[in-house]
Amino acid sequence: MNRREAIRNTALLGGASLLTTSMFSILQSCKSEPRLSWQPTFLSTDQAQLISALVDTVLPKTATPGGLDMKVDIFMDTVFSKLYNEEGRKALVADMAQFDERCKGKFGKPFAEMDAAKRTEFLKTEEANSPKYNGKIWGTAVGEQKPVGFYRSMKSLMLWGYFTSEEVGLKVLNYDPVPGDYLGCIPMKDVGRVWSL
Amino acid sequence: MPNFNIDAKKDMTYDAIVIGSGMSGGWAAKELCEGGLKTLVLERGRMVEHIKDYPTMNNESWDLELRGAIGPEDQKKHFKVARTGFVGENNKHFYANDEENPYTEVKPFLWVRAHQMGGRSLLWGKQTYRWSEIDFEANAKDGHGVDWPIRYKDLESWYTYVEKYAGISGEALGLPQLPDSHFLPPMELNCVEKEVKQRLEKEFPGRNLIIGRVAHLTVPHNGRGKCQTRNRCDRGCPFGAYFSSNAVTLPAANATGNLTMRPFSIVQSIVFDENKSRATGVKVIDSETGEMVEYHAKIIFCNASTLSTTQVLMNSTSNRFPNGLGNDSGELGHNLMDHTYRIGAMGNYDGFEDMYYKGRRPNGIYIPRYWNINEKTKSDKFVRGFGFQGGASRPGWGGGANEDGFGAEFKDSLITNPGPWEFFITGFAECLPYHDNKVTLDKNNLDKWKQPTLAIDAEYKANELALNKQIQEDAVEMLEKCGIKNIVGFDNKHEMGYGIHEMGTARMGRDPKTSVLNATNQVHDCKNVFVTDGACMTSNSCVNPSLTYMALTARAANHAMSELKKGNL
Repeated sequence: MNRREAIRNTALLGGASLLTTSMFSILQSCKSEPRLSWQPTFLSTDQAQLISALVDTVLPKTATPGGLDMKVDIFMDTVFSKLYNEEGRKALVADMAQFDERCKGKFGKPFAEMDAAKRTEFLKTEEANSPKYNGKIWGTAVGEQKPVGFYRSMKSLMLWGYFTSEEVGLKVLNYDPVPGDYLGCIPMKDVGRVWSL
Repeated sequence: MPNFNIDAKKDMTYDAIVIGSGMSGGWAAKELCEGGLKTLVLERGRMVEHIKDYPTMNNESWDLELRGAIGPEDQKKHFKVARTGFVGENNKHFYANDEENPYTEVKPFLWVRAHQMGGRSLLWGKQTYRWSEIDFEANAKDGHGVDWPIRYKDLESWYTYVEKYAGISGEALGLPQLPDSHFLPPMELNCVEKEVKQRLEKEFPGRNLIIGRVAHLTVPHNGRGKCQTRNRCDRGCPFGAYFSSNAVTLPAANATGNLTMRPFSIVQSIVFDENKSRATGVKVIDSETGEMVEYHAKIIFCNASTLSTTQVLMNSTSNRFPNGLGNDSGELGHNLMDHTYRIGAMGNYDGFEDMYYKGRRPNGIYIPRYWNINEKTKSDKFVRGFGFQGGASRPGWGGGANEDGFGAEFKDSLITNPGPWEFFITGFAECLPYHDNKVTLDKNNLDKWKQPTLAIDAEYKANELALNKQIQEDAVEMLEKCGIKNIVGFDNKHEMGYGIHEMGTARMGRDPKTSVLNATNQVHDCKNVFVTDGACMTSNSCVNPSLTYMALTARAANHAMSELKKGNL
């Protein structure tokens, strides 16, 4: 069966590439006013603003489209309403409330109302405290997967939404639906960008 | 391709009946039809025609609202197979409805079913390995189970025969424990796999790392196209590049004009004639109307898949066989086996950051068995052995969730940097045939057609657990010595069934007192009934079984036709 599936989405323990986040704040989008130009199915307006703000902070617009351009927040709302079960939705609501409580405790405001610099500072703390995903083989985690918490599960979800969206999948990543022969060892520079599929 | 004849109403009598249309049933149909026998293939599921019935084969993630995931309703419908993580929006129509097809897990057992024309041949992993003399001798040598009534030489020419037709890609090595097939060109290893191969073979003399041997065409073959490395096999392949009944054997059978296929046909039982000591036909429940019909034939091939075949035999009671057809020995339903699954190690390779690959190769590496293949490799902890599958790749954006960082630079790095190379191996260990690993008919739990369901009562025991322990130790050690970093060993402690290689329950043997089938897969004392799917297996090796089912089926079908000609059936 498709154990057989690509190992492409494997997230390995300890496989983090070294990224310094110090310069991130200056690159952040300057927008700090909450915006909600869509009607959520599951999320409340406040919750949707939180999710949109998270998406915009993790996947801001650069030379390539941002997460909000790809409607990743709307996709996440769809996932919550159609993919999550009742138990998962309950836990999500509690997680979002706790996340904003921590944020208010530190900065006196919910996440969506903070400026880019403070969002970044707060997310760095959240990230430092979030467990990681186990490695996966053929689509299933190896070993016993402990909960990764709100921040990392949202990050995972928004990367999925962003990189499987049509514009990113077709134009931003390297899209090759019918590759032909497998070439096992070719220079990265000949490929240029990460494969879409 | 001409249309399939699915009108089984006008003719109730055939030369041969084949129960099931998957991996082995397709081969039975092809051989019997090509031999000139009017053959009826009975399939409990719906019709699936090659290409025409692969509705999702060209879907992209963005075409689907949930990008390929399935929601709670489908999760519920597929609540058994969902445990594997294999089922999604693009392949769910090829998995059976678990709610409508209940079975009882006396002990935890995952039974993955695919009820449609072609069965699990649409979904299989395509890993294709010959069994060796070591495998066929194993039971006789260490005393577990009963002796196989055949040896490698009995099957060798049939392996070649099915390989030439199916198209198997791989590399010849000349290993005694993993005989070479008749190969199409191998797929390529990537940079890290080549590097690990070199180190592994140097550090561990006697161990080999090879590209997987697979039923994917690497060159056009018999009118089928070669693999385009889309890795969307489980949606059905538009090129017919991987072996399936739908793309290969059923069209060949159909081309003879001798094939009739009847979908929605649940075989309830085989009808036994006491005067003739032969089966005369089968009783079929039409799954749509509930109507029971009877078909007749001179020979019957059971290819419903391991447990379903045994279920049919158990349901086939008569005065002569009160405990199920061919069950004089009491072994019917017993000696259920599977391969242990998801025990191994993974980690990163530092280097080759400037190298990448093109294509989504539906294949990986294979490390053939190296324990207990001769005196020198004998273990004092376990009998039999295991092989590894695995491979190297770069995670792409999928690795991003575990990376630290967010924001502009992070996002753009996921577009331009595929991430660190990852390498993993995962073992598949042989399971001994234990009499008390069994299935029974559960007459208290009936399905929607009022038929008894199966109760499965099986578990891995001390030898399998010792093999699994060795798998993990070896995996970690090999990765360490091959320069892999951040190594994580794992054992998911999966129960039986996860290997989806269920075998046994109607085993072949030399003695009717201890086995169900003879050396040519005929039911003892009912010689015109043949069982050539996984049920017939006397032991289960550690390599993937499908190729052996194909070879056994072709051999048995040709034996059946020869016996028919001689008037012996």
